[in-house]
Amino acid sequence: MIFGHDMTGDRTGRPAPVRADLRRDVDLDRVWLGVAAQVWRRRPGLAERLAGRALRSPGLARALVTTPSLLLGWIIASAVVLAAGAFVTLGTSVPFAALLAPAVAAAGIAYAYGPGVDPAWELSQSMAVSDRMVLLVRVLVVFALNAVLGVAASAASGTASAVTFGWLIPMTAVSTLALAVAIVARSANAGVAAGLTAWAITVLSARSAAGHVTAAVTSSALLLPYLLVATACAAVAWFATRLQKGTS
Amino acid sequence: MNVEIGEVTKRFGRTFAVAGVSLETGPGVLGLLGPNGAGKTTLLRMMATLIPPSSGSVRLLGRDPAGYGPRREIRRRLGYLPQNLGYYPGFTVAEFVEYFALLKEMPPGRVPQAVATAIERVELGGRARAKLRTLSGGMLRRAGIAQAIVNEPELLLLDEPTAGLDPEQRVAFRALLRDLGQRATVIVSTHLVEDVGAACSQVALMDAGQIVFHGTPDELAAGGEGSGAAGDAPLERGYSAVLAAHRSAGAAA
Repeated sequence: MIFGHDMTGDRTGRPAPVRADLRRDVDLDRVWLGVAAQVWRRRPGLAERLAGRALRSPGLARALVTTPSLLLGWIIASAVVLAAGAFVTLGTSVPFAALLAPAVAAAGIAYAYGPGVDPAWELSQSMAVSDRMVLLVRVLVVFALNAVLGVAASAASGTASAVTFGWLIPMTAVSTLALAVAIVARSANAGVAAGLTAWAITVLSARSAAGHVTAAVTSSALLLPYLLVATACAAVAWFATRLQKGTS
Repeated sequence: MNVEIGEVTKRFGRTFAVAGVSLETGPGVLGLLGPNGAGKTTLLRMMATLIPPSSGSVRLLGRDPAGYGPRREIRRRLGYLPQNLGYYPGFTVAEFVEYFALLKEMPPGRVPQAVATAIERVELGGRARAKLRTLSGGMLRRAGIAQAIVNEPELLLLDEPTAGLDPEQRVAFRALLRDLGQRATVIVSTHLVEDVGAACSQVALMDAGQIVFHGTPDELAAGGEGSGAAGDAPLERGYSAVLAAHRSAGAAA
């Protein structure tokens, strides 16, 4: 019987001769599993296929495309914020796009990976693909994407080249700070809050000291502090994601 | 032996969650019983290579999980179901199981068949393309079990796997456990002694971070005979009697 139809007789009611090769038992369970495997499988998109080739790991590629801050909605939101910044820059000559880029990147980085972001975080930690590697890949891609969006926004706003690229190092510092806080506090929101607060304080302090709002992204005196913060926060993030040692 | 644990402790601050546990076990189903806070989940998390011990030795599948390479190899051959299974609401059951098959570094060509097999084994075939957010608690638990067994693990660690399953599903799950235990080492942490009686060839009873009994379910049940311990079934009486004896010995010491 296959789906209720008796396949053993013809229209005259006589039993049909059964071919020898069909007499063998057919393992329908096995056949069904083969069909189900093809029907249920997920066809990876172009981005995932490219990532799989580049990373040489389909698991890492899948982990990358599930990053919350790389989902289409998040990317569109980031682009809209930066586009608004570029638009205001055109009207006021204040480089809002350059000032917004580090903040947008910090939020994206904080939401790249962690217990508050990945619902199955504990399970992910028991996997052969290292969670540290997942974190690293996600953070690098989110950062790169935000850098591209920031450059596009700055270019569109017609900001001077010094300002166009001046925010990249502050963006690195603010992003690593947000990442480190998100990991240590086990909360993406805490990371975002820390990044945004630190960046706001930096912008306002630099403005008070230098007298213009662009000082946070143009002052060469701030480069070393930015680099130190970035290095220290990266070290904290690396240390905090090690396999927890015992307390003895 | 797939699991060789020697005098393992795990300390969180001043509290010993696991206080000197030794355990050796090969293929078969081991039930890990004990009251809340006994240290079952911490012991399972150490065996899942999520946390290292504070002291003592752990060898899993013949390897020391302290090193990166051996740990990665163990994880390829490990199945783990945590007590609190997080899930991605937008994933379908098949996508969820496939995701973890890939993270376990299964050969990509084998993944679709393995995913279909795992989903059918937990009887979720009819909901394979349903989003996880649409499933009941019992179905989510079965999806979690499917991801744990998708790589046909040699070491399977299940933390409260029957929580949320209805009686019929629990009966089917016990049959699955017995089947898995023929080839793999399956360690099941549970509060439900009837699961242990029906599916486990061995049982370890934990209390206050220590294993206070290790034997067969029949031996545990025998421990309750004539003891006057509380319980509706022999295993429950054995469980209560062993715990009471351990606690009174601890109080006397």
